[in-house]
Amino acid sequence: MRDFAAQVQDIAAQYPDSRSAVLPALRLAQARHDGWLPPEAFVEVAEALELTPAYCQAVASFYDMYHLAPTGKHFIEVCTNLSCALARAQDVVDAFESELGVTVGETTEDGEITFRAVECLNACGYAPVVAIDHRYRLHTSPEDVAAIVEELRAGS
Amino acid sequence: MTDVAIELVTLTIDDVEVSVPKGTGLVEAAAIAGIEIPVFCYEPRLGPPVGACRMCLCEVAPGPPKPQAACTLTVAEGMVVKTAHTSEMAAESQNATLEFILVNHPLDCPVCDKGGECPLQDLTFRYGPGSTRMTFSKRTYDKPIPISPTIALDRERCILCYRCTRFSESVSEDGQLVARNRGAQSQIATFEDRPYKAPFSGNVIELCPVGALTSTQYRFEGRPWEIQSVPTVCGLCPVGCNVAATTREGKVKRILSRNHPEVDEGWICDKGRFGYPALRAADRVTLPLRRTGGRRFEEVSWDDALDEVERLARAAGGTTVLALSGTETVELAYALSRFVREGLGAHTVVLPEQASPALAGYRQPLSALRDSDAIVVVGDDPVVERAPVVDLWIRAARRHGAKVVTVGPAGRVQTKPRAYTGVEKKIADELGDARRVALVWSGPGGQGGAEPAALARALGERVHAVYDLPSAPNARAVADAWEVAGEGESKPERIGLLIVSGDEIGRESRLRELASRADAVVAIGMFAEELRPLADVVLPATSYLERDGTMVNLEGRVQRLRRAVMPPCPDELAWTAKLAERFGVQLDREARGVFAELSPKLYAGVPATEVGERGVLGPEGEAPEPGKKKAEAKTKVAGGGPLRLTSYRALFSGPLVERVPELRFQRPEHVVELAAADASVRGIENGDVVRVSSNGTSVDLRARVNRRLVTGVVRAAAEHVQGLEAGVEVTKL
Amino acid sequence: MPARSMLLAGIEEHDLATVEGYRAVGGYEALPKARAMAPDDLIAELQASNLRGRGGAGFPMGRKASLIDRKSGRPTYLVVNGDESEPGAFKDREVMAKAPQRLIEGCLISAHAIESTHVFIYIRGEYLTEYEILQAAVDEARAAGLFDPVEITVHRGAGAYICGEETALLDSLEGRRGQPRPRPPFPPVQGLYGAPTQINNVCTIASVPEIIAMGAAEWAKIGAESSPGTAIFSISGNIVKPGNYELELGTPMRELIYDWAGGIPDGRALKGVIPGGSSVPILTPDEIDVPLDYDSIGALGSFFGSASLIVVDDRCCMVQLALRAAKFYMHESCGKCTPCREGTRWQVQLLEKIEAGDATLADLDLLESVGSRILGKSLCALGDFAVYPVQSYMRKYPDEFRAHVDRGGCPFGGQSSIEGIVAPSDQHTHSPVAEVPA
Repeated sequence: MRDFAAQVQDIAAQYPDSRSAVLPALRLAQARHDGWLPPEAFVEVAEALELTPAYCQAVASFYDMYHLAPTGKHFIEVCTNLSCALARAQDVVDAFESELGVTVGETTEDGEITFRAVECLNACGYAPVVAIDHRYRLHTSPEDVAAIVEELRAGS
Repeated sequence: MTDVAIELVTLTIDDVEVSVPKGTGLVEAAAIAGIEIPVFCYEPRLGPPVGACRMCLCEVAPGPPKPQAACTLTVAEGMVVKTAHTSEMAAESQNATLEFILVNHPLDCPVCDKGGECPLQDLTFRYGPGSTRMTFSKRTYDKPIPISPTIALDRERCILCYRCTRFSESVSEDGQLVARNRGAQSQIATFEDRPYKAPFSGNVIELCPVGALTSTQYRFEGRPWEIQSVPTVCGLCPVGCNVAATTREGKVKRILSRNHPEVDEGWICDKGRFGYPALRAADRVTLPLRRTGGRRFEEVSWDDALDEVERLARAAGGTTVLALSGTETVELAYALSRFVREGLGAHTVVLPEQASPALAGYRQPLSALRDSDAIVVVGDDPVVERAPVVDLWIRAARRHGAKVVTVGPAGRVQTKPRAYTGVEKKIADELGDARRVALVWSGPGGQGGAEPAALARALGERVHAVYDLPSAPNARAVADAWEVAGEGESKPERIGLLIVSGDEIGRESRLRELASRADAVVAIGMFAEELRPLADVVLPATSYLERDGTMVNLEGRVQRLRRAVMPPCPDELAWTAKLAERFGVQLDREARGVFAELSPKLYAGVPATEVGERGVLGPEGEAPEPGKKKAEAKTKVAGGGPLRLTSYRALFSGPLVERVPELRFQRPEHVVELAAADASVRGIENGDVVRVSSNGTSVDLRARVNRRLVTGVVRAAAEHVQGLEAGVEVTKL
Repeated sequence: MPARSMLLAGIEEHDLATVEGYRAVGGYEALPKARAMAPDDLIAELQASNLRGRGGAGFPMGRKASLIDRKSGRPTYLVVNGDESEPGAFKDREVMAKAPQRLIEGCLISAHAIESTHVFIYIRGEYLTEYEILQAAVDEARAAGLFDPVEITVHRGAGAYICGEETALLDSLEGRRGQPRPRPPFPPVQGLYGAPTQINNVCTIASVPEIIAMGAAEWAKIGAESSPGTAIFSISGNIVKPGNYELELGTPMRELIYDWAGGIPDGRALKGVIPGGSSVPILTPDEIDVPLDYDSIGALGSFFGSASLIVVDDRCCMVQLALRAAKFYMHESCGKCTPCREGTRWQVQLLEKIEAGDATLADLDLLESVGSRILGKSLCALGDFAVYPVQSYMRKYPDEFRAHVDRGGCPFGGQSSIEGIVAPSDQHTHSPVAEVPA
């Protein structure tokens, strides 16, 4: 815990006001808690930055990249906004649902992969865009899906 | 005060030309012109405007071609404002805002406590649509959720004006009530749905413009047309917040703030807000009680009771001792004092505070704290436990840029308890070049104000205000009342009769000791369980909500109490007058009359009519010569033990709070604070259960490491460490 | 018109993530020139260029800099808005990933202009790879001694479109929920931490080195008179060659769509073009003969916006497109102000009813009314952005909306190109491991 607080202090030192370190601190805490933020994580962040757990939880709940419930070890996120939709992103979604055996928004039974649709990832010219553990995979087609999942599972 | 020429700005609102001081907000400017601009989220006491609700949209020129949020604008010369009354754009916009609010707002009015005093209802009538166009299902939540035993949250009704969260973040600064999620899923919440536990939580009930945050005590208790409202003053602490007691059918149903801009700015603490049910406690004394033997008491008639007291008083004569708690009105303290001094020739008194004129010349309203560059807070006791609203003023000052220098066992300038001599240099270092300094004394040892006054003089002319926080609501005026009620001092060898006024006193070891020594004890109080252990005769007392009279708060402001409901027993002044008459002392039976008698002696003759709804900030006397300092009582660290125990009376403690079940969750935790070094040397970590002991007595508490606490000192709430001596051992269990 | 490479100049030949690579194409020559100028003169030069903000509003960058209160006694800050989240835009991504040193030089020059010693680059959280490249570039430039006395902090967002709004960005940077602030006061007076702050888009700042190198007067000759310079146009959707094209402003839109980007694939017909990212009114095929500059597109009732074109062909149901857009804005609404918070959801409810075939003509009128009641009344532009797509599709394709009502269903009969598209707001996150909080 001391380690965490010290890391947060280092981050906070880069800003004129230590409150600015909340977002990076939450990201750090999330990484330390298997990819999500349980209540303890908010207590840790609050203590490190002299804020309240309620405040930290309120901030985290505002942003899409913080998860307040357990998630899979990996993330597969398909953009379904306008340009990707026009490029038939829904076919990619359907293919992943079939391959993973989940409905979009769910985590696989084995807890490995959380699959969800997301808003614009802003790589629209290379649609359909899929983010795999936050790395963009451009021009994804339904045919690529099986290999993507296999590679992800193998790499785990 | 320097004379500053006020610059005026002239603008036009709804074709009415109005001139207002520069810097005035548009909403206020319109009000000055007699024009309403409706608002929800706008509340200047919460900080800068947020422009969130969009209720105040008006047409403003110069400006963009779309409606502007009036609450975010200040007046400018030549500005032309058109509100909903003269602008179709503004009317349409405000109508739209209300339509959007109502789209998901539940049709709860028939069962909602806010109905009848609800800004959403009122503004919808004035500016909103008459019918709905919403045909879809409204969003629903589980409701109501008790976010604390005293506050219920109904998320469906919430219009997300953020007044409550801004209060929690930027006024009380407890940071417990927050808005979570985003967009249409936003909701008000606490961390993990834990109770909102903070001394000022109840203020969100008044801030909430709809029935989203309501009082559980007041749930379904009455409609606005069924209730009366009595303006009075809270009598539970030395701040004397201005309040309004809501009554129905002769009972107090709730307490609201009456907003005195200089005293409380519209805030009250949860004890003052939620404590009134204690008036109907099961053990409320309604008839006099007389001990018949052992632990048995019988109810007696007033005549019999007064006969008994007369008998005891005649027997004791000049050996009578009067103990006042400081919760009395000035009138009652004066009447009892005159009875004892004139009627019995007894001149021994036990008072919560000394009387001292030392603070004359430093008297300022509490609001002056906010105008200070720096505030020095000296004392053993946390301000929030002693005079809660003062804590809010200090926070407000800090947010305005003031430097706050705390001096005490857990202060920035660390001292041992009650050891404040010689700290001037350290304080001056911290103050730097701050030019307008206020001093707050929060703890014992103030000697009626002499100590803080001396410290203020040592710090120089830049100290413009001194606030001594006494330990009881009316402490200093009660002491003054004793002073002017007679002359002489006596030191009797024995205590023939002890007359004790006030329930809190049942908990004080000093008084218990006197009572055990006294031949007889007459106790005047509200709660039988508190008084029976001490007394031979118990006379029922009224509470501050049931009496007329005046109290003087820590500012020195004389404020008027108004009887909100009839007490279940006669007013004390009535029987005190009867009793006194038997001893040849003439006293008026009504507060008004007693006030007329004591005003020339205490208030420079201020007439009752001038005390009014806002009180009178006490007449300034001459600052006295700095006299000889009384030798500071050296408390011997008796009973061995290397750690010095300091304790404070917690805000949510005492006979009244204990009789309100909804306030139980605010009672002080069973915790003892230790300095980091002391804890580590004893192998104690945060949360460990430890034994605090001295001379055979011990208590087990949870340790909390306080990094600001001076080494060698431990601190706890007084009620948890009763019976322990000043020197203690702390060992891990 | 030929392509003109300024923002992306040199990225094919050299690695502009490195100082050395950037120097090889003339990088960091403008910086000492700028530092030798007095801040007032530098601001005057920026004003003379008439560089307009590339984030969407098109506000002149130099004029913004001139409004910075440099006498307040408080520090001044430069904040670079890299929270690119506008659907259709992917230009800032390219600059941050392919030419970060140019952005950095722009930061250092702009910081000098406003006498700032601390620059913050706010990069959206989803841009992980781009963040790593940018952070490495910043670290390298710092180590090369180019910063002194300025510091550049790269700050990652965490997933919220609203944080691209400049005052919401400030709140997010301060460690709060990213909600916009009322204006006045404006950021040049009271911004980050309450101090005078300049906020500009990545491409705006990245344009600065060339302005100083060439001289503002010369630079202002490029492009269109009221909108000089180049912009990176992101084009996507139903188009043969989607991608980024850096062109002079004033280039005809038809040229971009058909000559540069290859036109509509599969022999389909153009149905509409959204010229500036999803938030702006759509243009119909008869409106695409317009120069790509702020004023010309503005004259058509739309906006230049983020220079991001989304091309839609005739396979797409416009009601479905409106619904998808509406769900985006509902999801991204920060919830602070009443009209946007309640109105964006109401729009979605009405559009779902229309798409399902359950609506009446009165519902169409109601949808129009709801939009008009949000427009101009919300705390920030997101409210307006939520309305523009819905109202412009309704007004420009009225027959399609009426057909849904008359037929009691979608006239595309399940064959629309975006049929069944699932939005994030449609899904529930389920975890087999724990209960999901409400």
